[in-house]
Amino acid sequence: MTLSRIRNFSIVAHIDHGKSTLADRLLALTGAMDPKKAVDQVLDSMDLERERGITIKQHTVRLPYLRQDGQEYTLNLIDTPGHVDFSYEVSRSLAACEGALLIVDAAQGVEAQTLANFYLALEANLTIIPIINKIDLPQADVEGTRRQIAEILGLNPEDAIPISAKFGTGVPEVLEAIVHRIPPPPGDPAAPLKALVFDSFYDPYQGVVVYVRIFDGRARAGMPALLMSNGRVYEVQQVGVFTPEMKPVEELAAGQVGYLTAGIKRVADAKVGETITDAHRPTAASFPGYRDAKPMVFAGLYPVEDTAYQSLRDALDKLRLNDSALTFEPETSLALGFGFRSGFLGLLHMEIVQERLEREFGLTLIVTSPSVRYRVVTTGGETLEIDNPSKLPPAGAIAHLEEPYVRAAVFAPTEFMNPIYRLAQDKRGEHRALEYLGKRVHITFDFPLAEIIVDFYDRLKSISKGYASLDYDFLEFRPSELVKLDILLNGDPVDALSVIVHGDKAYDKGRALAEKLRAVIPRQLFEVAIQAAIGSRVIARETVKAIRKNVTAKCYGGDITRKRKLLEKQKEGKKRMKQVGKVEVPQEAFLSVLKS
Amino acid sequence: MIGLADLRPSQSGPALGLYLHIPFCRQRCHYCSFNTGPYRPAAMERFLTALCREIDLVGDADWAGRASIGTVFFGGGTPSLLEADEMERLLERLRKRFSLAPATEVTVECNPESLTREKAEGYRLAGVNRLSLGVQSLDAGLLVKLGRLHSPEEARHAFETARHAGFDNLSVDLMYGLPGLDLARWEETVREILAWRPEHLSAYALTLDAGSRWARSGVAGLPDEDTVTAEYWALARRAAAAGYEHYEISNYARPGFRSRHNQVYWRGEEYVGLGPGASGFLGDIRYGNVEPVERYCALLEAGTRPLGTYETLTTAQRQAERGILGLRLSDGVPPDWLAGVGPLVEAWKSLGLLEVAGGRCRLTEAGFWLSDSLFVELLPPAP
Repeated sequence: MTLSRIRNFSIVAHIDHGKSTLADRLLALTGAMDPKKAVDQVLDSMDLERERGITIKQHTVRLPYLRQDGQEYTLNLIDTPGHVDFSYEVSRSLAACEGALLIVDAAQGVEAQTLANFYLALEANLTIIPIINKIDLPQADVEGTRRQIAEILGLNPEDAIPISAKFGTGVPEVLEAIVHRIPPPPGDPAAPLKALVFDSFYDPYQGVVVYVRIFDGRARAGMPALLMSNGRVYEVQQVGVFTPEMKPVEELAAGQVGYLTAGIKRVADAKVGETITDAHRPTAASFPGYRDAKPMVFAGLYPVEDTAYQSLRDALDKLRLNDSALTFEPETSLALGFGFRSGFLGLLHMEIVQERLEREFGLTLIVTSPSVRYRVVTTGGETLEIDNPSKLPPAGAIAHLEEPYVRAAVFAPTEFMNPIYRLAQDKRGEHRALEYLGKRVHITFDFPLAEIIVDFYDRLKSISKGYASLDYDFLEFRPSELVKLDILLNGDPVDALSVIVHGDKAYDKGRALAEKLRAVIPRQLFEVAIQAAIGSRVIARETVKAIRKNVTAKCYGGDITRKRKLLEKQKEGKKRMKQVGKVEVPQEAFLSVLKS
Repeated sequence: MIGLADLRPSQSGPALGLYLHIPFCRQRCHYCSFNTGPYRPAAMERFLTALCREIDLVGDADWAGRASIGTVFFGGGTPSLLEADEMERLLERLRKRFSLAPATEVTVECNPESLTREKAEGYRLAGVNRLSLGVQSLDAGLLVKLGRLHSPEEARHAFETARHAGFDNLSVDLMYGLPGLDLARWEETVREILAWRPEHLSAYALTLDAGSRWARSGVAGLPDEDTVTAEYWALARRAAAAGYEHYEISNYARPGFRSRHNQVYWRGEEYVGLGPGASGFLGDIRYGNVEPVERYCALLEAGTRPLGTYETLTTAQRQAERGILGLRLSDGVPPDWLAGVGPLVEAWKSLGLLEVAGGRCRLTEAGFWLSDSLFVELLPPAP
């Protein structure tokens, strides 16, 4: 296959604009997949992904495309994750391509992630083909969307291809445009091997399967592969392509996209962005821009049953094989016992990990309130980073505290500007820039990350009737007036309920938190006093009254089975309770901390 | 699937209990979820024939003749709808098939309005030696609200009738936590009932059981938990002062007059259930007869035992149940039955809800009232 017959491209879009549907269409149309076997949206193969309608892990597939004139092309579709938590992965996928299909929903128009993805594609020097999708919808506004593409993105509106991925309308034109407009990959098959890792997954039989784009040279089984970021060398065991099933091939040469296996044990050993070269004949320089996916959000994961600690460790180990962004280390909580402090890219990532641990490994977990990583400058001049509020040094030892800020772009119709500004103010946002783009505004704020990790996105969606969208990136640490808010149950501080909050918000937060806990902590055999305190100063107090009566009045012969079943039901309800001192605290209490 | 051969008492157990269910009432009470339907003489006649056939079928089992029967209990429904001769017919049939001793406790649940002097004497002659009188309340308005057919006066009269007929072992059923019942009125009821000096007293806090009219439609004026709790304690105090032993969560007795039949249940002992919807417990198996009277009769007319449901208890379930049932009694259980929940036992002790003495672990009266919170913890983990 000569380079001139290869095209490497991605599809990028705002969430729900139809990326997976178009990918399915392309697969069906090129015969990469038997339509009879088609499961809707094959590329989103994880159950969770399908349920949530989002792509978390990326997938890639080789499409054989036979043009009308009899010429055969190889189109490599490199799928990208579709959530704001995963923008680094998107950028690496794009680096493996020469072109991108930028989908815009004809009914929704350009949204924040359309824009964010557009900029990522521009940065990667890709040829962009705008696609206007969902033209079959009654509320589709193709001309208006064309105008937005011109006004907001600065692309030629005539280049946009109107399609309905759902019904297949316009999809053949998309295939033609891929061949026509996207340049073939550059590269020198004779040069030393230079391959970019843009994804990987763990296979129990073959070890890590690494997705690669070959830029120069050739990869084949038996050659020693050098991973340039960590200097490790592995022998390549197999190279192949995705059809979408894995199919071994003799070699992958410059310009091609495929996979290789080399007995690598964990995905963390061959991270996205890594450069692979021939250990005997290394390439001169690795790809620029490699960075570790850094967790932004941290939470404690604790098994409800103390005996499940080892199972939790095993499950996390297994998940990490496949998820290089997941970090965890053992931690002990006075309240919750032994668990793990885990780092996540964002709250969605955290929820996915929790759900997988519970669903795939049958664990019942307590997840503590998510926290960001704070920086502490001590009076001794030392700088510490803490990701667990209970680890904060005593107030006297702290010179000052810093918290992470992000730069966030909110994109919305102009009519929602006021509520958005109000929300931003409530979340300690600092306005940076405002740009009118047709009937929409693109507002830039700086936010403390802690303010937006929990309910910001939901509230933004609700105040804008779903029209506003959000994109953000880490900016910097900034000094901040932060305090540690402790929660005491019957006088004993519960470390797992401590949070770090801004001083101005501490009082409201403490009161809201105490109220929320009163609502979720069930009545016990004794009264439970809930106090919120800063240092030794109690700022809020609530009481959960003691249970007065819990009795089965009648229990005779015929009723014993039924009464036992009623008790079993009660027990089921207690499954997610954790004994904290003498008090039984339900799972949701720990997550209610940031939601109050 | 179990076979009938599996339904047999274990070799070494104590005497069996026999429960007979009489599934008819003149009117369903509004709080009631039991298996009962409207009384019709013809239906009663057909049912009694079927019941006798069931007695025969169970009596055919090789173990039946040898088994000693410690207690017989006629429950319902309204067993006192049975005429004295009908009662005699049933007890005759039982004596023919099983070994009933003169000392066997034979109890009949009676509604005050259906207990005449003649019937009470007839029952005694037939071999009944204990009556349980469904008084429920001594407030005329409340009795109507509950759907009962008797007045307070009829209740008083029925109690006297039973005494005059020669019954020296009488139980009274009462209810509290009722809509519109206040603490003062309840104390008044308790005071009067205790003055009757029944040998035994059962008092149940109202529960809205699934299947009852009140569970479906709701009911206005239910007292709050504090009031129900105060009523529980008022009864406990007055009964103790009057010499009654609070021997089970909802049951009180003068010395020597505990319900022997009901203790069979709480001690995890074996019993045979006869009649529609009646349950039995033999070996590891708890079974239940079909509930609809029509189906029950039809099966027996075809010569088939009317089994409906059964469960074979696992060892873990048996152990959980014996703890849960045993702790309902003031006798409590051996401490090693609670070895698996040691910290909990300590916590309950420190709260005054449980005590360990004389080689037994038992709930206090305060502990009775919160007992489900402990029982939940005795259940085996869900599979």
